[in-house]
Amino acid sequence: MIVVDFIIKNILTQASITIALIAMLGLILQRKSLGQVLSGSLKTLLGFQVLSAGSSIIVGSLIYFGKIFTQGFKMQGIIPSIESINGQAMNELGLGREIALTFLAIFVFNILIARFTRWKYIFLTGQAILWMATMTTIFGYFAGLRGLVLVLVSGFIGAVFAVAMPAIAQPLVRKITGSDDIALGHFCTIGYLFEALIAKLFGEKGENKKSTEDLHLPTQFEFLQDTYLSLMVVMVPLYLITAFFAGATFSTRLAGETNYLMFAFLQSIQFVVGVYVLLAGVRLLLGEIVPAFRGIAMRLVPDAKPALDCPVLFPYAPNAVIVGFITTTLGSILAMFVLPKFGLAMILPGMLTNFFAGGTAGIFGNAVGGRRGAIIGGVAHGFFITLLPALLVTIFNQMGFVNATATDVDTVVAALLYAWIIGPILKAV
Amino acid sequence: MKQLTILFVCGAGLGSSFACQMSAEDVLETLGVKARLDHSDISSAVSMQPDIIMTGQNFQSQFEKFAIDEAKTSLIYLKNIVSKAEIEEKIVPVLIQKGILND
Repeated sequence: MIVVDFIIKNILTQASITIALIAMLGLILQRKSLGQVLSGSLKTLLGFQVLSAGSSIIVGSLIYFGKIFTQGFKMQGIIPSIESINGQAMNELGLGREIALTFLAIFVFNILIARFTRWKYIFLTGQAILWMATMTTIFGYFAGLRGLVLVLVSGFIGAVFAVAMPAIAQPLVRKITGSDDIALGHFCTIGYLFEALIAKLFGEKGENKKSTEDLHLPTQFEFLQDTYLSLMVVMVPLYLITAFFAGATFSTRLAGETNYLMFAFLQSIQFVVGVYVLLAGVRLLLGEIVPAFRGIAMRLVPDAKPALDCPVLFPYAPNAVIVGFITTTLGSILAMFVLPKFGLAMILPGMLTNFFAGGTAGIFGNAVGGRRGAIIGGVAHGFFITLLPALLVTIFNQMGFVNATATDVDTVVAALLYAWIIGPILKAV
Repeated sequence: MKQLTILFVCGAGLGSSFACQMSAEDVLETLGVKARLDHSDISSAVSMQPDIIMTGQNFQSQFEKFAIDEAKTSLIYLKNIVSKAEIEEKIVPVLIQKGILND
């Protein structure tokens, strides 16, 4: 009994161990050598711990930012960050193991759905599955589900999204890539379709459609494709201006010996450090799991289409990506000021999402409604992807997550589905 | 003979470079070429000095600004970064030039 007790208390409650065991299972199923099984599992374990470390760095920087923002602008500004929600869920709610198992369950259900239905999509964007698992698990937990039921229900809902999102985007992805052999696996798809719809209504039509790709954008914009560089370019002024508005007295109290503006500058870089570390962790974590999943899935579902991360589409319309990033950022800044007027929270632009989701949405807008479609659709997209997280803030606050919200709209929709539909049904039963 | 190293690059070094790596893995397997594959973000890529860098066409202008010694590192740009046909078509000449494959 002591042994079993030890296993339950010390091994299965550690999310990093759970996820390493999942990777181990995948490697064993592929009949890898003992050395490969061990090194792969250890790399996954390391990746998970690096991810958590990055998440703490981000949270530390955001706590500082939250203080100066509240002081400077007399309102609550929230930087949406699924990473910090993931960190809080693991550390404070102790849901790490459930999230890791839900992650596995989404994979398994995804293969089953692809195997037995017409929708042959295998979702291979690991980090997106992890964020989806985070959201469905947290919301399932607050709807009162526990243990195995929680993992199965959250996993099933996540898997339905993992198949449905690539499926609804496919007609447009076909149009963009000119082929049917890849699909889009990224949980911002509802936003892309929203942009496509706006582009259809307000964009250029038929003969008059001019593509963004015939534009000559200034080459100075190209650095924006470098994720960490473009993050710094936005975060540095954001922190500096906020610290300035918070005033020297207040900011100096937080900065201690360092000059308060220098401190704000370093904290903004610290935020990017957090993102960098977190993504390095994700890279290590997924390095073994995704190929294993792909190998198993392709064997069980031979005619499957891989649903891949959004930058796969970037080479097809690089200008549309830049246009999409800029217009989405404009839309999200607009929403930042407008939403509080309607009693909603003030959501600061989440730059990572603005770039990846905004860029991809720009490609959709351009494909449907040309330049005008990409521009008008982009601003509307920025507004849309700020509105949904704002709706989630109140729900998160009730759960005890202080001023937190997530970004990727499909995961937000999954959460709202739980909060507005599944939760009330469960409570009624 | 040092083992051939190939680096796959995208903006964050997470999703699409990894997808490209998995496609290339299949291609190299059919060609019977052994290589060490890795993926990274564009900021880190400059300092890694692999034998080959594979990335999307949208990064071409940025790579041209970097001081990458083309004699050491060959750059390959892809339009569809997961297309095995395109990867094969573009990597074979480079491998022949490096003396890894025979014509």
